[in-house]
Amino acid sequence: MTAIAEQAPRAKSVQHRQAMPALLLLPALVWIAVFFLLPLVLMCWRSLAAESYSFKAYWIVFSSPLYTKVMLTTLESASIATVLALLLAYPMAYTLTITSGILRGLLLMLVFIPYWVDIIVRTFSWLILLGDHGLINVLLRKLGIVHGSLPLLYSEFAVLVGMVQILLPLTIVVLFGAMLRIDRTLIAAAKIHGASGWNAFRTVFFPLSLPGVYGAALLVFVLSLGFYVTPALLGSPRQTMIAQTIMVEASELLDWGQASAAGLLLLIMTTLIAAIYNRYFSLDRLWGGSDA
Amino acid sequence: MDRSADTASGAQVRLRNLCKTYGQTAAVDDVSLDVPAGAFVSLLGPSGSGKTTTLNLIAGFLTPDRGDILIDNRSVADVPPHKRNIGMVFQSYSLFPHMTVAENVGFPLRMRSKLTRADAQKRIAEMLALVQLSHLSARYPRQLSGGQQQRVAMARALVSRPRLLLMDEPLGALDKKLREQMQTEIRRIHRSVGTTVVYVTHDQSEALTMSDLIVVMHRARIAQIGPPNALYETPASAFVADFIGDSNLIEATIMGVVGDRWTVKAGNGALIHTAPPAFAASVGDRVFLLIRPEDMTVRPSTSEPQASREQGEHIVGVLKERSFHGDVFKLGVALGSEMLKARVAREDGAAFEVGQSIALTWKNGAARLLPATGDDDGSGRSAAT
Repeated sequence: MTAIAEQAPRAKSVQHRQAMPALLLLPALVWIAVFFLLPLVLMCWRSLAAESYSFKAYWIVFSSPLYTKVMLTTLESASIATVLALLLAYPMAYTLTITSGILRGLLLMLVFIPYWVDIIVRTFSWLILLGDHGLINVLLRKLGIVHGSLPLLYSEFAVLVGMVQILLPLTIVVLFGAMLRIDRTLIAAAKIHGASGWNAFRTVFFPLSLPGVYGAALLVFVLSLGFYVTPALLGSPRQTMIAQTIMVEASELLDWGQASAAGLLLLIMTTLIAAIYNRYFSLDRLWGGSDA
Repeated sequence: MDRSADTASGAQVRLRNLCKTYGQTAAVDDVSLDVPAGAFVSLLGPSGSGKTTTLNLIAGFLTPDRGDILIDNRSVADVPPHKRNIGMVFQSYSLFPHMTVAENVGFPLRMRSKLTRADAQKRIAEMLALVQLSHLSARYPRQLSGGQQQRVAMARALVSRPRLLLMDEPLGALDKKLREQMQTEIRRIHRSVGTTVVYVTHDQSEALTMSDLIVVMHRARIAQIGPPNALYETPASAFVADFIGDSNLIEATIMGVVGDRWTVKAGNGALIHTAPPAFAASVGDRVFLLIRPEDMTVRPSTSEPQASREQGEHIVGVLKERSFHGDVFKLGVALGSEMLKARVAREDGAAFEVGQSIALTWKNGAARLLPATGDDDGSGRSAAT
């Protein structure tokens, strides 16, 4: 009896503790429900209703060569942009981890300033740089390296340059965060036990930074799949990505059912990629332990 | 254990006037030290005394502002850490989390020795046997307890048979019982490999039990160097006396000298005779009188709590505290504003009541004079830290 009496107040406080997080989550949950889930349901309904309540709109997405081509272009551009962003961001993030004080602050500012500039503005600036009469072509002509001009703009090259530039700050910050969690005394331990700077990096720092690299890769790739402004302004029709096609369906062809179907398929595909990726690159496996 | 000739002895380490400053603060100030080959030397001091900085200078993680480090009579000023052939055990163990125990232990071999794969495997197995972890070679560090990680760190530090092993508070994260067990373990391993060990700790009892030689550091400088018993018995300053072991430091003034017999007056007026001080002093100087609590013996005093010239080496005070510690009683005896500590046998301690007047005596030669200025002598610049 006394034992039960003693436990009662504790059980109550446990209930309180469980109720608290739910309460804190509520505002965000309401927001997501109203502005994300509800539109999603409406989209779903519309995609089915457009073709007299059938999956025809979805079938069109799967069967049309246009969608297949656009989807492949999207995957290709997103993959290449992700790899390039990681390759460029890694040395920068590493530099940030080995600097400190004012220098680190300054470098971080340099990373963030472009991040604060609007995507459209940043993309337009590439028009100015890469165009036939843009800075690069003019310079090359003045130096006599080319006659006429290089077809830089409206190409896959231009789209990738634009995408990578937009993705870089985020990639750097995510990698930097992951690298900061690596214990620096591990590097000291490697060095005192015979590893040169390069060997310490190769055998200790780099493997320990991989979970961060994989995490950043997923984030950047998923973000790349939805790019719209950059391929629209810097690419040719051949570089059309899925978000542009959906936009054309919705705003020019006014086929909202078709646009909804394509949009939902993009969402499903992205979620699947993320889920599969997470399964194969789970942090547990990388750390060789159970509680990474 | 097979010991090839090249590892039979440890390295000789010499620090020559080492200085390292951070901004205005001297972290290591003119430190000179000879570490004999094969010795177990502890750098002992409170936090911020410069012991870890000294260790990092030897390792090569820091570059001295001035001074030189000689390992086996060769300056290592231009030798990067990975070429110094040193093993090191870090406070946080710093095992590589993505490598198994065997891979961690094999790391130094992979980096610096030209051993064949089979020989390397044999050496790793040998080291794991030495630290008694052979059965855990396939585990990852996070699957081990603190004590086990500590042993892996030892094995990794010693696997390439370095002539010098640095240890930075390696037992700080372990609980008391495990710590004492590891102290014995580390001594056993040290004896079996013969490597020179430089061991950093802030734990005086750890330093006393493990070391051949203790270097007491205080405010970026060396306060005293000596074997454990010498430091305990003949501390050179009030700081060392206070830091190593339990001590009574009584403020006193030198009153007179008759031959080898010096007479000092304690704060409360008691006159006490001692042997000559080991430092230059003259009548009228302020000094500290050191008497270890275990050197005190007690007897009842009928007189009032005051000095008694006729009885020679003794002080009369009032018993204020008495606590039982199994084998001994610890007594707190008030002498004016000062509280003196005494550690006495069970039956002696039981005979007194708190509040009683009590006479403290001590063995001949147990009272030592120490300079009142102690290690602050001429080190005004480091006093600011």
